[in-house]
Amino acid sequence: MRILLIEPDKILASTYKRALVLAGHQVTMCAGAQAAIIAADQTQPDVVVLELQLPGHSGIEFLHEFRSYSDWSKVPVIVQSMVPAGEFAASWPLLSGRLGVTEYLYKPLTSLQRLTQSVAAA
Amino acid sequence: MAIHGNRQGAMSQQLLLALAEQLKLPLLQIARQAELGQPSDLPAVQATAESALKLIDSYLLGVRLSTEGQTALALEPVSVSSVLYDVATDLTAAAQFYGVQLDLKVAGRYGPVLANRQALKSALTSLGMALIESLPALDAKRLSLDLAAHKCRYGIVAGIYSDSVKMRSVPLADGRRLMGQSRQPLHDISGQSAAGIFVADQLFSAMQLKLQSSKFQNLHGLAAVLPVSPQLSLI
Repeated sequence: MRILLIEPDKILASTYKRALVLAGHQVTMCAGAQAAIIAADQTQPDVVVLELQLPGHSGIEFLHEFRSYSDWSKVPVIVQSMVPAGEFAASWPLLSGRLGVTEYLYKPLTSLQRLTQSVAAA
Repeated sequence: MAIHGNRQGAMSQQLLLALAEQLKLPLLQIARQAELGQPSDLPAVQATAESALKLIDSYLLGVRLSTEGQTALALEPVSVSSVLYDVATDLTAAAQFYGVQLDLKVAGRYGPVLANRQALKSALTSLGMALIESLPALDAKRLSLDLAAHKCRYGIVAGIYSDSVKMRSVPLADGRRLMGQSRQPLHDISGQSAAGIFVADQLFSAMQLKLQSSKFQNLHGLAAVLPVSPQLSLI
């Protein structure tokens, strides 16, 4: 699968990329929301793995723009974030509904194995 | 007095929260690299752990200087260029792993300033590490940071500059207000809590200095003005 990995930390991004590549996926890394929209246009991802906390434009802003294009309205998005899920309880209906987030993973407790399983199942 | 103490206590707690949030990142990097289990990752794991340890030490120094005040703050004549050189040396490993080029720019020869050498070095190292981590995520064309010193009418300005980190005074003031309460108090710079910047802020503050936005050779940065002592210039 073609994965678009949006992760602001370069070292973490590189580690996630290697794990996903080892699992047989093609991975494009982006550190910010604007670059991710351009990369999505170029690579047509099958799955997006997104951190919501990005400098400048947030992951939510990325999702609003990403979902505004009909080509990408059905692409599964897995949110993998430093923010505990409980803090998103109020916005989960928006994330899982209109913004089409398929799964929420709390980054500190998500192993590489769990991430690759989630990507495979998306 | 009690109000001042309460405010300082609340600030200290907010900084601790920001630090705890920030330290998730190096621990996560180490955990995931360990999960991959590749020996080639060991130097990166070491650099990550050492940066995290330095941040904790800087935080502790800031707390000690803030609580013990002038009694703990042993001021001495300090050469800014030598401190910047030490900071660059300390940051080199982390900068390499983040693909950030560090340059040292000291515009001229300066006499010593009166400061606490350890606090000044810790402040600039914390600041530099925070900017190194942030820079790749800013879609910067050039991943480069300048550790620079230059003169201004009030003294010698020492700080860290880039053509991407466009820090202004208003977001910095907002960030100070939001520190510990928002996960991204400096959201234009960092996706994290930016604890390194606030630890630097605390250390400068303990030395009666102020971290502020600064411009140098068309670069933007964060810096402090260090007053030159006319007496020390004679040494």
